[in-house]
Amino acid sequence: MIEEIASGPAAIPAAKRGSSIGAQILALAWRAADFRIGLAVLAFLILASLLGPSVLGLSATKMDVANRFAPPIFLEGGTWKHILGTDQLGRDLLIRSLIGLRNALLIGTISTIGMFILGSTIGLVAGYFGKTVDLVLMRITDAQMAIPVIILAITILGVSRPNPVTIILVLVLAGWPAYARVVRSVTMSERRKEYVRASTILGASSIRVMLQQIAPNILPPVAFVALLDVARMMIFEAIFGFIGIGIQPPTPTFGTIIADGTKYLLNAWWITTIPGLLLALCLCSINLMGGALERARNTLLRGQ
Amino acid sequence: MQTNRSVLNVSQLSVDIEGRERRRILNEISFTLEADTVLGIIGQSGSGKTVLSRALVNWLRPPLRISGGSILFKGVDLATVNETAMQQLRGREIAYIGSDPANALDPTLPIGRQIAEKLMSVENDLARDAADRRVLQMLDAVRIPSSRQRFHEFPFQFSGGMMQRVMIVDALITNPAFLVADNITQPLDVTIAAQILRLLKELQRDFRTSTVFVSSALGVVAEIADRVIVLAHGEVVEQQGMHGLLDRPTHEYTRRLISEMPKIWGEEPLPTAVETPASETVLSVRDVSKTYSERDRNRFFVWNHIQAVRGVSFDVFRGENLGIIGESGCGKSTLSRLLGRVEAPDTGQIEFLGKDIAHMGRRQLLGLRKKFQLLLQDPFNAIPPHLTIGRTIAEPLYIQGGTSSVEVEKRVRATMIEVGLQEDLYDLLPVGLSAGQRQRVNIARAMVLDPELLILDETLSALDQVEQAKLIELFGDIQKRRGITYIYISHDLSLVRRVCNRIAVMYLGRVVELASNTDIFFNPQHPYTRALLSAVPAIEERRYLPETYLMEGEPPSPINIPAGCSFRSRCPLPIEICASVDPKLSATPSDGYAACHLITPIAQSTINS
Amino acid sequence: MFALNFLLRRIVQGIVIIGLVTLLIFTLLRVVPGDPVRIMLGPMVAPSVMEQVATELGLRDPIPVQFGRYMLQVMKGDLGHSFIRNAQGGSTGGSRGGETFDLQNRAKVSELIANTIPYSILLAALAILFTVLISFPLGFVAGVYSGKWPDRLSLYVSSVLVSLPNVWLGIVLILLLSAWGGILPAIGYNGPSYAILPALVLAIELAPVMIRSIAVSVANSLQENYVSVGEVRGIKRRRMITHHVLRNASIPLLNLFGIQVIGMLLGSLFVVEYIFNYPGVGLLMINAVFQRDFPIIQAIAMLSSAVLVCVNILVDLAATNIDRRLQY
Ligand code: SF4
Repeated sequence: MIEEIASGPAAIPAAKRGSSIGAQILALAWRAADFRIGLAVLAFLILASLLGPSVLGLSATKMDVANRFAPPIFLEGGTWKHILGTDQLGRDLLIRSLIGLRNALLIGTISTIGMFILGSTIGLVAGYFGKTVDLVLMRITDAQMAIPVIILAITILGVSRPNPVTIILVLVLAGWPAYARVVRSVTMSERRKEYVRASTILGASSIRVMLQQIAPNILPPVAFVALLDVARMMIFEAIFGFIGIGIQPPTPTFGTIIADGTKYLLNAWWITTIPGLLLALCLCSINLMGGALERARNTLLRGQ
Repeated sequence: MQTNRSVLNVSQLSVDIEGRERRRILNEISFTLEADTVLGIIGQSGSGKTVLSRALVNWLRPPLRISGGSILFKGVDLATVNETAMQQLRGREIAYIGSDPANALDPTLPIGRQIAEKLMSVENDLARDAADRRVLQMLDAVRIPSSRQRFHEFPFQFSGGMMQRVMIVDALITNPAFLVADNITQPLDVTIAAQILRLLKELQRDFRTSTVFVSSALGVVAEIADRVIVLAHGEVVEQQGMHGLLDRPTHEYTRRLISEMPKIWGEEPLPTAVETPASETVLSVRDVSKTYSERDRNRFFVWNHIQAVRGVSFDVFRGENLGIIGESGCGKSTLSRLLGRVEAPDTGQIEFLGKDIAHMGRRQLLGLRKKFQLLLQDPFNAIPPHLTIGRTIAEPLYIQGGTSSVEVEKRVRATMIEVGLQEDLYDLLPVGLSAGQRQRVNIARAMVLDPELLILDETLSALDQVEQAKLIELFGDIQKRRGITYIYISHDLSLVRRVCNRIAVMYLGRVVELASNTDIFFNPQHPYTRALLSAVPAIEERRYLPETYLMEGEPPSPINIPAGCSFRSRCPLPIEICASVDPKLSATPSDGYAACHLITPIAQSTINS
Repeated sequence: MFALNFLLRRIVQGIVIIGLVTLLIFTLLRVVPGDPVRIMLGPMVAPSVMEQVATELGLRDPIPVQFGRYMLQVMKGDLGHSFIRNAQGGSTGGSRGGETFDLQNRAKVSELIANTIPYSILLAALAILFTVLISFPLGFVAGVYSGKWPDRLSLYVSSVLVSLPNVWLGIVLILLLSAWGGILPAIGYNGPSYAILPALVLAIELAPVMIRSIAVSVANSLQENYVSVGEVRGIKRRRMITHHVLRNASIPLLNLFGIQVIGMLLGSLFVVEYIFNYPGVGLLMINAVFQRDFPIIQAIAMLSSAVLVCVNILVDLAATNIDRRLQY
């Protein structure tokens, strides 16, 4: 029987047994082709968004009235100068998209990290201490969850002056409850496990148990899946820009590009659609990776 | 056996596990199941007995696959029959009961409806109410109390034993030609398991169901089987009549199996219990109680009070082994948490080395924790998966503080050697350790502080006999060297019989009897102790017969404990006073303590006066 | 007995939650910069007049006093009056009502909401219908064939769908189906067919979440011990799935639906209404935000949290009915 248990879940490559849960998830996800494809595309897009603007040597904000509504390269009349064409003010759409992508990625990543930290802390504390602490924290979480993200965001951003910091704050504020809930429930089940109880029996303090015993075991799986939220937050950023409560012009964001383009939809359809396609491609690569990580996590946690 | 009609003919049956490399699980098994008999299959974990019992009902799932041989049942080869034909046989002609009754039915539907559902899907033209009526009859036949009401209850509302009765109803309701009972008593408490076994024996006799009874406990199989097959490493090593097997085992393996069977009444010397004059009291428990409260969801503002431990008192002397035994729900795990001060008792004192630790603060307690340690049951989950073994064992030293890291490593390595762990495990993560090794890591972690008292909560239960014996020996050695005191908390009578000087028996949150090892086993005073002894699966002559001592019924709920003696509902000889007066734990003539009106007339007289 | 006890407790809890949400939004609206009175009266008004109007409206009282007064009103069923709109003004229109601002003749918030909510309900219902139509077959098949190609397919389909930002998707669909294809009408509202395209956008946003969850819960339910035991008990696999697996899988799904899907739907409803200029509550809300029309923002935020809380209670009640263990 011991042998049976030791030879454990077949899905885990033998060499990887013995490494931390985070490394195991990564290793298992790496074996999925979609993870690698997603990673490659994402890496390319990140590089492009970082290097592109200086390589192409064009300005994202410089207007060029003579070159308004220049079509992208694959349409008749397109030129290599403006690969994705220009908008109603003659600004180059490729540069604008790349900078928009950079901003979106930054906002998405920072806000996800923020909500992960805030939510995990609250979830850990609520799940570990239980009782009244849990009750109070969870009621707050419930209340926070009872406001749809968009409503909270448009309320705050709509009536105040939106800038990257407030946008990130709003996203963190809207996103943490989901993490608090998940971390709380795994903490509660982890808390009952014997190794945690064993540590309590030895006289370890609550902080020690939480940080040293529980957190390293439960947070990596949650953190990996948080990647999916980076994509969600990027969508929110685009929505804010579209409504006009995102980063303010002239800084390009996907939301404003799309919103600007709608006015010229019939004669210059590419202004809206092509940058959006780029965003969708980036989101898709993130989602492919996130999905693969999520599957790897589920396989591992179920196998244990 | 008079008619030589065979129901099932297994010949040359082999099962493989398919994977990167193919591995044989069962190799050329052959046997016949005679009509109206019980065939026992005995094998230890890993022998392939569960695979065999599933193969018999054609219920193997990939990667397991039948790779050869035949299972002939009424002229059909179950090994090769197609799924549709098998579907016709399963449930109607062939029945199977497993070891996990709690998860055998849909948790969201009442049990009665699910059994009726099965009956109706097997017998197509049966009307709903006729099916219901048959289910009710069967529920009565397995003696499920208030069957009409329980028909509409959900699986989670049943105890393990009752749920196993439900599964027996489910299996036998179609009057199948043969039944495979795979380890059905394994998860149950001894007295409950004995009841189930008795019931199955009766039903088998009444329904004349040919039965394959699979178990890892020889004592259980001996109780019910006519013939027996011994399975080891996927092969049949011996096959003969039950009595023959016990008296004249032919194969070496069987002989070892029988000799390893723990003897309870056998005259073997007690291996580890060191006889020290009971002098110094290490731990003194006085009238300790613990009640948990839980909201009653069906009534407003009502809380249920679960009385887990009710006024327990005893002393533990230096250098002795005290055993605390009882079945699930008796409060022994709560008690272990109280003794290890994971939780504080509601009332009472726990004096350790003269200091009351029951309500001590965490900081004060921390210093004392060096001297008493609690070891938990589950060797797999008690070790954090993300820390190296050395780090895990060092944890108590770090928590206590004040030891340099060089000193820590030295002490950890020394302790690892003492408990028999290879030193090169120091830097490894615990993944891949065997249960025995893991339990040793646990032990090392407790021992590294050099405690004086060690509380072992079912610490050895998850290990097999051989590993268990090794650890008992290890505990004995440490005891001799360090003069340590142990409290063994366990459900395993043969274990406490082997190691403990004195034994406390718990029932429903109380100690009902506390006496020396010999007295508990040879001269038990309390009716519950006798019931417990009568239920132990054993191959020796029983001193206490279940017919006399083991009543039907299960312990009452700890929420509403009736007045009077709490064992009354299952006591074979209650007297009038038992209904109203709760017996106190008082001295017995034989120098022990028991809580029963029958045997402590002294107590009665004090109550009367 | 249980149901009553449960409902009572949950309703009390729900009221507390709605109260907290209202307080949060109320405070936020009052601490952020930007004076609504200025927008109300226009930039040309003397500061003294502004102060007078603000005091009349109670905007200069301490926040707790304002909140207390507001809650008292709400309890009487009065959601207040719009800061900006006149009683006769268009329901969602953007401009201030007329040249002169008339304090006495402002539109009642409750009426503004009542006028727009039927449109939103139509849109939401249609969106849920589409979502269910898309996600149930895909998710169910993926769950039953977990790990096989249908599962993979549904995984990739949902990965792609979840990557489409709704603002972009809305515009693209308008371009393809409305502007170029001429199949469906898009902007504004002129009959129920105007709800189809926005509902489709919503459904595409919600479907991936549902598909994955259905697939996972069906697959997990199939893993349960009783399912394979059922086979050996003589119950056919098909019956096992239709009568037991689906029943058990519905519990996590109900939870997901109550918390996540409805939350997403409410949020995206606002955005989609804005994209399509669809005259529902969302458009009313977004315009109100631009105009700093606090009473409207406040009321709609409260309303949407109330909807979420109610859906949650209903969903939990349903779940406890399906699985009795949840009652204990
Ligand atoms: S007190 Fe009475 S009921 Fe209890 S064990 Fe003794 S005889 Fe039985």
